[in-house]
Amino acid sequence: MAYSELIKSFKAIRMYMRQFFVYGFKSREELADKSLRSYDNEKRRVESWLGDYMRFRQQRGGKSVFLSLDSRALCYNPFYHAYKAASFTKNDISLYFLLMDLLQDKRSYTLPQLLTRLDSDYLAFFLDPQPFNEATLRGKLKEYTELGILKSIKEGKSYRYQLFEDHLDLSSWKTAIAYFSEAAPLGVVGSYLLERYKKKEKQVFSFKHRYLLFALDEIILYELLTAIRDQVTVQLSILRADNRPYKNVVVPLMIYTSTQSGRQYLAGRNEHALHASFFRLDNIVEVKRLGKSRHYQKYSEEFAQQRTRIWGVSMGQGSLEKLSMELKVKPYESYIVERLEREKRCGTLEQLTKSNWLFTCEVYDTMELVPWLRTFIGRIVSLKCDNPQVLERFYADLKAMQEMYEVEADAVQ
Amino acid sequence: MLFNEVYSRYFKTVSLIIEKAQQGLLDDKSLFELVQKEAFSESVLELLPAIKSQDWLILDEALKTPLRHRPQMPLTLLEKRWLKSICNDPRVALFDLDTTDLKDVEPLFSLEDLYYYDRYEDGDDYQDATYQKHFRLLLAAIQEKRLVHISHCTRHRRVNTGVHGAALLEYSGKDDKFRLKTSRNIFINVARIIDCELLGPNPEAFTVHKESTKTVEFTLVDKRKALQRVMLHFSDLRKQTKRLGEDRYQCKLWYSPLDEIEIVIRILSFGPMIQVIGPQHFIALIQERLRKQRECLKESCEM
Repeated sequence: MAYSELIKSFKAIRMYMRQFFVYGFKSREELADKSLRSYDNEKRRVESWLGDYMRFRQQRGGKSVFLSLDSRALCYNPFYHAYKAASFTKNDISLYFLLMDLLQDKRSYTLPQLLTRLDSDYLAFFLDPQPFNEATLRGKLKEYTELGILKSIKEGKSYRYQLFEDHLDLSSWKTAIAYFSEAAPLGVVGSYLLERYKKKEKQVFSFKHRYLLFALDEIILYELLTAIRDQVTVQLSILRADNRPYKNVVVPLMIYTSTQSGRQYLAGRNEHALHASFFRLDNIVEVKRLGKSRHYQKYSEEFAQQRTRIWGVSMGQGSLEKLSMELKVKPYESYIVERLEREKRCGTLEQLTKSNWLFTCEVYDTMELVPWLRTFIGRIVSLKCDNPQVLERFYADLKAMQEMYEVEADAVQ
Repeated sequence: MLFNEVYSRYFKTVSLIIEKAQQGLLDDKSLFELVQKEAFSESVLELLPAIKSQDWLILDEALKTPLRHRPQMPLTLLEKRWLKSICNDPRVALFDLDTTDLKDVEPLFSLEDLYYYDRYEDGDDYQDATYQKHFRLLLAAIQEKRLVHISHCTRHRRVNTGVHGAALLEYSGKDDKFRLKTSRNIFINVARIIDCELLGPNPEAFTVHKESTKTVEFTLVDKRKALQRVMLHFSDLRKQTKRLGEDRYQCKLWYSPLDEIEIVIRILSFGPMIQVIGPQHFIALIQERLRKQRECLKESCEM
């Protein structure tokens, strides 16, 4: 098949864009999922959409392609371009514009009437055009009705179609859409809306701590949010680390998004599990809707109870563990106390002395706190935890860092 | 259907082409320019031949169109439902929107189904009337390129007053805060503004200065999924990574000098999985924290 910059499915390109952006050092041979030709085609597409950000580097093992993006410098997420490259047939595009033109008279038409009018008013204009067949037109009318562009009115055994009349005036929305397309879930829809404005919005907003790559998971996010709303069970196809997929049937309960780690998760409950599990959205390749869940209410209520004791995205073994950390904070370092206050999540904070503060929490998986505890290196007076592995990990890592940076190591624990 | 051709660049470009043809302004040159400007960089190879060959029934060989009306691309239900969802977001109070025509539309998603589990708890209060007033005034200052007189409370609880060129409103999802970025690269938290007033046009002297950047380089060993974690974590920043050996990598990050402490903290969170190799002053910042930690533990043992 001849190369086209348009795509039928988002699946393959999603993987390539992630690789080019997140890693950016893998060679053509390493990344070629099916064949080197597929790699070349996908790379060419990304270059066509995101050429301004694409860079190449020659290194051992071959040339690597990477996307160099500073999210703070961009007012619009460039990954949304990929969503605007959906492929279509010649009938799709012709029928769309001809129907929208024909139906602007605000009247309603039956399918045969539409076929007649398309023939007489439009096809006659072209040299030797192929007439549209009834099945193709019926399919498009159904699709446009589902999209909400057309309205179908039942008349006896047939339907009449007309444009969906809309009074929504978008003129006051431009600035808000420019913001929410970058700062709200499913922002790609906002990006579609922005395409409707003739004049581009002057850059008003910039974004810090923004993970552009979340844009690549929006089809999955949309399917999961719809499943949560409809309370249906889904079968997830999830990629393992070795790229082999496995399936898991869960009742989706909630989306957990990190603002700091570049990861998004689905919290879902498998019928055979005692509690919810978390699945990374970027590893989910397919969401298949099964039936309505009989247990949604029960799982949802249980999760609402449990989630007050989840530090991040793990329920560990399902039992609670206590952790406490005593910190040294000089009286003039109130910003540290403020930091603890805003970052403590389900933990509590207590002032012990003029310069000593105690953070405590009881959560399902204390191991999840280790990266956060490390950010207080330089102030930790003592660390206590029910889970001895947490202490082992923390102190072993601290010792390794002291050796790494040639700071005399400590025997203290 | 989130991924559909009606949202495509091709459809949008074709609607502009039809409009130009209806105005009698379309010729080969303007058609080529329009496709180059509105579509993707290689679209001229696909879109132009399809149109000119009358494969798509849009234009004839003389670039005339049988379409009588200015092309309309009606809003889809998905778009209206997304707008309805953002109407339920507390931040929508910052914008002056007419939402009456969305009253019968179901939201696309519910905010209750999403949770930002590591977002800081002291985010801005978007319901506060004074905050909303200041936000809108700053928005106007940016859009109309005007100066603003601002009194704000600093981090050290002092009141600062001055005239600024308003450049951008920066939002952080982690902090859930807006900050005004001035044309001289000063950041002022919107929530800390006590008073602000719109002044006259922003003169040349207040045009946006380019922000300087610093870099830090580190190596990492891919243990405990460190490569994936680090690459994802720092993907909000400009970065460049190369492979050094089987499981060893070297990464360079670009960051704003104002964020240096934050970058130190973020790097520290990865423990010994990553080792900063330069610049020296950055290594010294980590060494200082490690030394202080040694002192802390020594003191607690002696007690």
